[in-house]
Amino acid sequence: MRMGGGSGRPGGRGAAAGKDAKGGPRKKFFVRRRKVCKFCAEKLEYIDWKDIKLLQGFIPERGKILPRRISGTCALHQRKLQTAIKRARSIALLPYATD
Amino acid sequence: MRLYDIVVLVTPDLADEDAAKVAGEYKKILVDGGATVVKEEPWGKRRLAFPIGRRREAHYVYWQVQSEPAAVAEAERRMGLSDQVLRHLAVRVDEELKRQAKMTERLRKKAIKRPPRPPALPTEAAPAALERAERAERSES
Repeated sequence: MRMGGGSGRPGGRGAAAGKDAKGGPRKKFFVRRRKVCKFCAEKLEYIDWKDIKLLQGFIPERGKILPRRISGTCALHQRKLQTAIKRARSIALLPYATD
Repeated sequence: MRLYDIVVLVTPDLADEDAAKVAGEYKKILVDGGATVVKEEPWGKRRLAFPIGRRREAHYVYWQVQSEPAAVAEAERRMGLSDQVLRHLAVRVDEELKRQAKMTERLRKKAIKRPPRPPALPTEAAPAALERAERAERSES
């Protein structure tokens, strides 16, 4: 069970505002911003594997591909991002792994 | 004819001109096979993200080429045989780019069709919506 990670659920606040406010006010630790797919927001259909600056934003220190659950990328774009990163790796533009 | 992105990594052991010459050979194969070079960008000597055969750098050469598949296949085959080419990558891009162009075109048309909205007036018809917006603002801060 994954509880309290909370990244899968967009905070419930937006949904509660539309319906009735049953359950009372939620305990707020910090304001969680709704994650939006970066590529959808910028209307990018094609993710260029030569654009290392863009791809590097999805590569944490370890060199792995940032999961969707953290970056908020939509499934379609995550898939495209994945192939782009793998292509960039094959010609040593991005690392496979670092430590 | 299809559009390809091709990148070749040439050994750093060669000088810049020699590396360009090696890359030129492959360009010649493509052109002889009926290809036209759309874009050509020598990215120069770049650091590799990881060492390949003890080498930490390579000469990167990039082309965008309008070509028949056979010519690209042949060039790639020769690249694979060469010792001077560390890595190579050829990717077909025309369909993806077409899709992107279609998308931007659609967006542009939509933007023309829908003129910018006039500033919303705070009418009595929607006090509930206003209140909700206010509440949202408060909880955001």
